[in-house]
Amino acid sequence: MSVHLFGVRHHGPGGARSLLRALRVLEPDCVLVEGPPDANDLLPLLGHVDMKPPIALLLHAKDDPSKAVYYPFAAFSPEFQAIRFALENNASVRFMDLPQAHQLLADPTELVGARHASPNAETESDASSDANAESDDVAADPLGWLARAAGFSDGERYWEYLVEQRRSDEDVFAAILEAMTALRLESKMLEPREALREAFMRQTIRQAQKDGFQRIAVVCGAWHSPALNLEVADAKADAKLLENLPKVAVSSTWIPWTFGRLARSSGYGAGVTSPGWYAHLWDLQDSSSRNVVSHWLTKVAHLLRAEDLPASSASIIEAVRLAETLAALRGSPMPGLDEMNEVSRALFAWDSDLPLALISDKLILAETLGAVPAETPTVPLVRDLEAEQKRLRFKPDATAKNVEFDLRQPNDLERSVLLHRLRLLGVPWGESVGSSGKGTFKEAWRVQWHPEFAVRLIEAAMFGSSVLEAATQKVLEISSLTSHLPTLTGLLDDVLLSNLPNAAQLVMARLEAAAAQDADINHLMQAIPPLARVQRYGSVRQLDTKMLEHVVSGLVLRVCIGLPNATASLSDEAALDLYPHFLELHSAIQTLEQPSLLEAWRDVLQVLAKQLGLHGLIAGRASRLLLEQGVFTAEDTANRLSYVASIASDPNEVAAWLDGFLRGSGLVLVHDDALFGVLDSWVQYLTPEAFIAVLPLLRRTFSSFEPAERRDIGQKVKTPKPISVTRANQNVDNARAEQVVPLISQMLGIPS
Amino acid sequence: MSENALRQHAEQQFAEELEALAKLDDKPRPPNWKLSPWAVIQYLMGGKVSKLEIKPKYIGNQRLMEIAVATLATDRALLLLGVPGTAKSWVSEHLAAAISGDSTLLVQGTAGTSEEAIRYGWNYAELLSKGPSVKAIVESPIIRAMKTGAIARLEELTRIPSDVQDALITVLSEKTLPIPELNSEVQAQKGFNMIATANNKDRGVNELSSALKRRFNTVILPVPDDLNEEIRIVQTRVADLGRALELPAEPPALEEIRRVVQVFRELRDGKTLDGKTKLKSPSGTLSTAEAIGVINQGLALAAHFGDGILRANDVASSLIGAIIKDPIQDRVVMLEYLETVVKERDGWKDVYRACRDVV
Repeated sequence: MSVHLFGVRHHGPGGARSLLRALRVLEPDCVLVEGPPDANDLLPLLGHVDMKPPIALLLHAKDDPSKAVYYPFAAFSPEFQAIRFALENNASVRFMDLPQAHQLLADPTELVGARHASPNAETESDASSDANAESDDVAADPLGWLARAAGFSDGERYWEYLVEQRRSDEDVFAAILEAMTALRLESKMLEPREALREAFMRQTIRQAQKDGFQRIAVVCGAWHSPALNLEVADAKADAKLLENLPKVAVSSTWIPWTFGRLARSSGYGAGVTSPGWYAHLWDLQDSSSRNVVSHWLTKVAHLLRAEDLPASSASIIEAVRLAETLAALRGSPMPGLDEMNEVSRALFAWDSDLPLALISDKLILAETLGAVPAETPTVPLVRDLEAEQKRLRFKPDATAKNVEFDLRQPNDLERSVLLHRLRLLGVPWGESVGSSGKGTFKEAWRVQWHPEFAVRLIEAAMFGSSVLEAATQKVLEISSLTSHLPTLTGLLDDVLLSNLPNAAQLVMARLEAAAAQDADINHLMQAIPPLARVQRYGSVRQLDTKMLEHVVSGLVLRVCIGLPNATASLSDEAALDLYPHFLELHSAIQTLEQPSLLEAWRDVLQVLAKQLGLHGLIAGRASRLLLEQGVFTAEDTANRLSYVASIASDPNEVAAWLDGFLRGSGLVLVHDDALFGVLDSWVQYLTPEAFIAVLPLLRRTFSSFEPAERRDIGQKVKTPKPISVTRANQNVDNARAEQVVPLISQMLGIPS
Repeated sequence: MSENALRQHAEQQFAEELEALAKLDDKPRPPNWKLSPWAVIQYLMGGKVSKLEIKPKYIGNQRLMEIAVATLATDRALLLLGVPGTAKSWVSEHLAAAISGDSTLLVQGTAGTSEEAIRYGWNYAELLSKGPSVKAIVESPIIRAMKTGAIARLEELTRIPSDVQDALITVLSEKTLPIPELNSEVQAQKGFNMIATANNKDRGVNELSSALKRRFNTVILPVPDDLNEEIRIVQTRVADLGRALELPAEPPALEEIRRVVQVFRELRDGKTLDGKTKLKSPSGTLSTAEAIGVINQGLALAAHFGDGILRANDVASSLIGAIIKDPIQDRVVMLEYLETVVKERDGWKDVYRACRDVV
């Protein structure tokens, strides 16, 4: 009966390789791995053919999925290889860390400490900030300590130099154990949680001995290895320590993981900076060092070529030679990633940083998403999503991709709906980006799957067992909690895009109720444009817009009634605030193209145009809109202006009115002689004092015109053109004209 | 090759160091190299050999020098890229001196560099009287380097017209130079290689063809990335140059160097060192080499017209001259800098006053 300790670094191809070799020699009948025993049942799944690392073990409290812990594994993780080895060789395999049933209970401050010491586990409340906070703490980064002692800049490089680059068969584990024993003597007292964890590990080993296993292999973080020596620990003390620990119910599952999350840059304490490089080393573990180098540089060249950057075979050959020379010059047994990058820069990059950025992104980080077999236990919601993804041929991918949907295609439409629903559930798999095409049937998304979505899905599972049901329930919950009109409008927009008929009904009812209660005309005005858009273009999404029509027309009518009163006495600022909403509302009503609403709106505009005491900005714009609508003729408008600009008016009022009337468009002035004449003569009639008083306001309006428009207006002022009425030639030969009509009808698509 | 030369070649100036290194160097040397690659690195980066202190020639990242030396050891041509004044020619000279013991096999690239300067020309008197013969050929430095297995240097590669540049392709890939007129060729001896330098700020002068690019390994020499490193470079070089030019002034005060370097860095980076104020950058490169020039000129002024001690007004005129390359725009930049940054800064009053007198 023997116990063999293998202290490893959690992710590292060299360590994994050495470990596998050692296990083959040892032929253990039991393998104990640092990990949560709560998930022991899931271990056999690692041997499944569909299990493709990187993957992570996810554990969460049953009643509170936001309390979650991940244990990531890559193909080059020693733990992963040890478990697979055990499964393939029919050895018994168990996790031996303190169960998460106890660990998940701890309050967050304690969790942070735990993560330091247990770098293999990443808590949900993960923050990168504290990763470096205790860099002098040996337990946090034992190898960093050794590395600094050996004169290396960081532990990563040191380990690479000592273990990863080593291609011989010597036993490194005895050396690691010895080094860690020495290090632990230097370190402070164990944290209570650490003591618990190590006691549990020892107890697990004792249990394995009791179960009669002959050769027990223990795979744990290098730091723990000295503490697991049973000869110096007291079994009774351990048992006492572990008595009566509080417990919580825990669920666990395997989820796909990504290299990006594995990399240190994501704030993951025990991460590796270059998972792509490590995967490369692992894949080529049995070939010569030259092979590793030339394969890598060939990959680099292929990548660059795919991006249309020059990288010839001759350059690869030279790159390999340079890498080897460089390694020799620096006295290392084989070129490392640093050498590879330097060589790539010298050979392929010329003076640009782009190739190296590409290499770093695509090869070194090598964003890869793992896969888990279908048998993995999980919540029904995730099952449903997977089924949907399969049905729509829409696979999650860890690399960000831009996709464009043509909403006239049923499949694309359903994909869009799925993305919208997931967004409602707090799983932003897709992010809406501006579409390049103009059509409303196009929708552009940027999709990227993040592994933490797995947890969000589990959290969302409390709402329902399918995506549709969960999204509907979630919407109902949100809508019942708020009566804030803009929030409800936004929600309704989302609901309609997500095609949730049941939820839509309810949200619209809530919306109507809220609209009735909401006295703020601004809110009402802001609520209309998004809804009008949906109603107008909803048909592309095959939405049932009948209900919506009801709500929108209700809102418009409410605004029409309230607007004259709401605008009765506006300060300059309030008018300026209202102005853009007023314009948006106008165009929204135009897009609706509903005669009854248009009619009501025109009436309101007329009221506004004539309303006494209305702020000039709004009154002026109302007149202008009426002119555009053809309700006011040019003559009416000229009369209006003349009336407003009478000597009796307050010049400030006049200027504000002009501002509203002319803002953003000098073209009317250039082309409308009657209007121009009215304005012109008004300016001429102003007394010098009054002119000076309104000049700044006039100038403000005019400065908003395009320089070309201003030039044209100026030109027009300088050279008064005789008003000429151009009239089309009335002598039309009807017989000849009729011959053209069918062709033009055909071109315009008018059925004849 | 005389003691009175204004500036000695690297192999002359540092003959003692090279000799000491060669004596102790027991690492394998590539054929025809005077030193092993390790010793070359040591020569460049400085250190101690037995009792002799080797002066650092390149102050900066040793890894870059390692790539450069490894490149030459794999008989690939080396291209040093960088903005002006980042010690490209300096490094190239010292590499050639350390590897071949001869840094003089130099072709200066200009817009007027002809193919003859790279390959060979003819001695027309000889050619007319005796016809084409080996004797009638005027060899370029590159042919001489090929024959002796030495390092040839090519300065400002991108200034050479493209068709002339391409004459290098055969030399670099086949390591031979055909002489069709004589139906013969020059074959490079072991140890031959080429170090070219090019400036990557003046883009598109004569962009290298991709065929030629492929034959070079590039090493980009960066602008020093921290203030103290740059001060150290300026200090060392000014001391060397002052000795070479026999300037009678006192060695410059560190404070004055620090200020010049700081002005240069701030204008180059477009922000003050503390990152609080945004600045416009002038059109020039404001390299370390120019900072060295400014200090040197200030020293000369101090020695001949001042009291022998470098002060702000000795530096001011050459400082302004180095920064204002465009009389209108750069002047605005400098004035803004003086008024918003220098004027307010504690202990910089003298700099402000001296500069304002000049601008």
